[in-house]
Amino acid sequence: MILSLNEVETTAKKAARGARYPWGLAEEAGKATRWLCSHDVDGCAALAGLLDQIDRATLAEWAPDPRHDPWAADGGTHCPLVTGAAISDRAHMLHSQSIRIGKIAEPAMLVPFAASAARQINATVTITWPDTVVCTDGDNLAIDGICPAQVTQIDIRAGGTITDQNRRQSRATPTADTWQILCRFAHRTYAPATEESRQKGAGAGVSDND
Amino acid sequence: MSATPHIARRDPSQIMRLKRLGSLHQSRLSFMRILTRRMAQEGWQFSRPVFDIDDAGVGRAVYTAHGPTHSYSLIAFAHDLPDDQRSDRVIAQAWDATFTLFDGIPDVADLDRLAQNVPLQEAGRISERELTLARANRSVRLWAHVVEALAKGQQPDPVQIDKVGYLMRTTAVYGSGKFGAADREVIADRPAMHVPFQVEMLTVYLIRHFVRELIEHMAHVKGGATAIRLDPVIARRLGIGNSTGLGMAPYIINHPVLFNNWIMVREEAIARVRSIKTATQQDIATFFDILGRSNASVANWHSQHPIQIDKLAHLRNDLAALESRLATQDLSDPYPWDSLLGWADEALSEEGQELLASLILEPYGHLVDGLAACMADDNTDAFRIDGAMPIRDVRKLIETSFGWALKIDWDAKKNCARAWYVSQEKLEPRMGERFDEPIADYEQPLAPARDATAAYTVLAKWDNDTQVAEFLLRHPEHRHAVRRAQLSRIAPYGEICDNTIGDDVLPIDMLRAKLSFFGATHFDPRSDRWVRICMYAGAPYPDDLSQANCDLWVYPERAQ
Repeated sequence: MILSLNEVETTAKKAARGARYPWGLAEEAGKATRWLCSHDVDGCAALAGLLDQIDRATLAEWAPDPRHDPWAADGGTHCPLVTGAAISDRAHMLHSQSIRIGKIAEPAMLVPFAASAARQINATVTITWPDTVVCTDGDNLAIDGICPAQVTQIDIRAGGTITDQNRRQSRATPTADTWQILCRFAHRTYAPATEESRQKGAGAGVSDND
Repeated sequence: MSATPHIARRDPSQIMRLKRLGSLHQSRLSFMRILTRRMAQEGWQFSRPVFDIDDAGVGRAVYTAHGPTHSYSLIAFAHDLPDDQRSDRVIAQAWDATFTLFDGIPDVADLDRLAQNVPLQEAGRISERELTLARANRSVRLWAHVVEALAKGQQPDPVQIDKVGYLMRTTAVYGSGKFGAADREVIADRPAMHVPFQVEMLTVYLIRHFVRELIEHMAHVKGGATAIRLDPVIARRLGIGNSTGLGMAPYIINHPVLFNNWIMVREEAIARVRSIKTATQQDIATFFDILGRSNASVANWHSQHPIQIDKLAHLRNDLAALESRLATQDLSDPYPWDSLLGWADEALSEEGQELLASLILEPYGHLVDGLAACMADDNTDAFRIDGAMPIRDVRKLIETSFGWALKIDWDAKKNCARAWYVSQEKLEPRMGERFDEPIADYEQPLAPARDATAAYTVLAKWDNDTQVAEFLLRHPEHRHAVRRAQLSRIAPYGEICDNTIGDDVLPIDMLRAKLSFFGATHFDPRSDRWVRICMYAGAPYPDDLSQANCDLWVYPERAQ
């Protein structure tokens, strides 16, 4: 598939909503997926993997508790969208400390939020998980390693140097299977048509063939 | 000498009411006029490298606009559409003509590729080389009449021309990455395309030229040597219609910063002109000239919809009142425009007030036109939530933007009677009756006032000094509302100050607000959620475009 980034963002947002994320986080999912794709990371695959794991879950169980070190989720595994938003919202923490997070699904989805934090603190941020080091200053990204479906721990800290940065992309190229998963979730946000909605919903009203 | 006092912009609580947004008029800051001014100033050249249309009116044509740094080509596909398949709705599957705007000059392989996709519209795919995807249907009434007349060697009846105003109406013009097209980022850095919707406006401008040449071709096929070409004066009066359904309404809610920029720029322009202490005789003469021409346009504005009929009656009364006022008010007195708008606030309906607000900008291109550069939304960081903000400040922001909404009983049926959703078939945005249809589970976030109130109520239970990050971790369902509240810091005109899900909401108000910034005229609602408009009526065609006629074409010459 060759897609525009706008198509990726729109479908990712709907897909996250289809998996029952609240709108505000669905919007973050759309932006994050787009950000990854524009930095040559298959954000669509990461989101599809996440939605398959977390579909219709009780979000609170996947949310971090920042009072613990490492952050812990009641259900055992963190959602990278909820956790990522929490990091972006607390970017200033990175000035004084690193953040350690326990088991997390699709760690790649967390990276755009770390990039958001990097922009806020005007510094490079390094994210590490087993066998992988990711570095971003908010605009540029370098990934050395792999993006598995789950990892047992992530560390995020200010600092690091970006070498061998990912190429920027103006198109996204998810596999057909991945895209179909996102479309399947997105489809849940569409209301089944009724005759009433067909007639009145868009409100064409009088004749439109004159 | 004292400095000119700066009169403040009008308050968002006054401007962002749906009734007023639904009364906005085109102005110097409309996207069509910005485009034609620029093309004339930069001396854009136009060519038609391909016109391969057969006797049945089927084929392809290419119209290229050559700017100083880039060329853009409208690729048009003309079809022979059976009458029973013609529909303006998004659910249509075939059209009289389909289009794409190509970034550059297409080769034959591009045309062949696009011939396989553009006629399918949503069911096809375009690429990063294409900037828009569009389609149009004939005005059945006028098309047949004009072909018939020209084929017989006669010009069409001016009464029928004025009654309809266009030969084809577009039913969608998609841009910004839709269906595979290039994302806005691809073109946003080009000076000519930085202003919003310039590729869409260029698409429609070139479509109008194609449609004129297509109908002359069809008349020639029918009449042979007897056929004549359309009188240029009549051709000039013809615009391109546009039929816009509910789908456009959510746009202004979904893009609060962008919409804010449009409104704020217009308000800034109005404030600048109100702050002028002395109008020169030339300024005054320009104003009266444009007012007279605007009156001619209003006289030719027809609608069969009761709401618009009533608004037009008010507008015509307003114009009569304005004429009386101008007979007594001397525009040579200090601060004439401020004085006139102050009077209008008391004496005129919103239609009249907003028309006048647009008209006073006309003599002052040097104060107004440069503001066009501020109409895009380039601030991608605005989306980011400031988690360190204390809850006290978030609540204050909501009070500022939605103070009026906090007093509404959002549980009362009439206040939440409607819900916006997207239909499974054709993915068409629709609005339904929350309590009569199974749609609430599919509701789109298009009720910012209700959602802000809900967030505000929960925020009230939290300590004022707590950072909103803590609140959002516990209440992710309010993240959307908190983001919008924070956006209001840079976008004071970003929120509609009315209920968008009440039983009396008129989506046509939202459609008109957006379309007025395109530069549309002659709004003609077909229902409470569907409107037809006219674009480019009066505009010079590409070959005639000059610095002398590139701007004020929207106002008909009174001699006509």
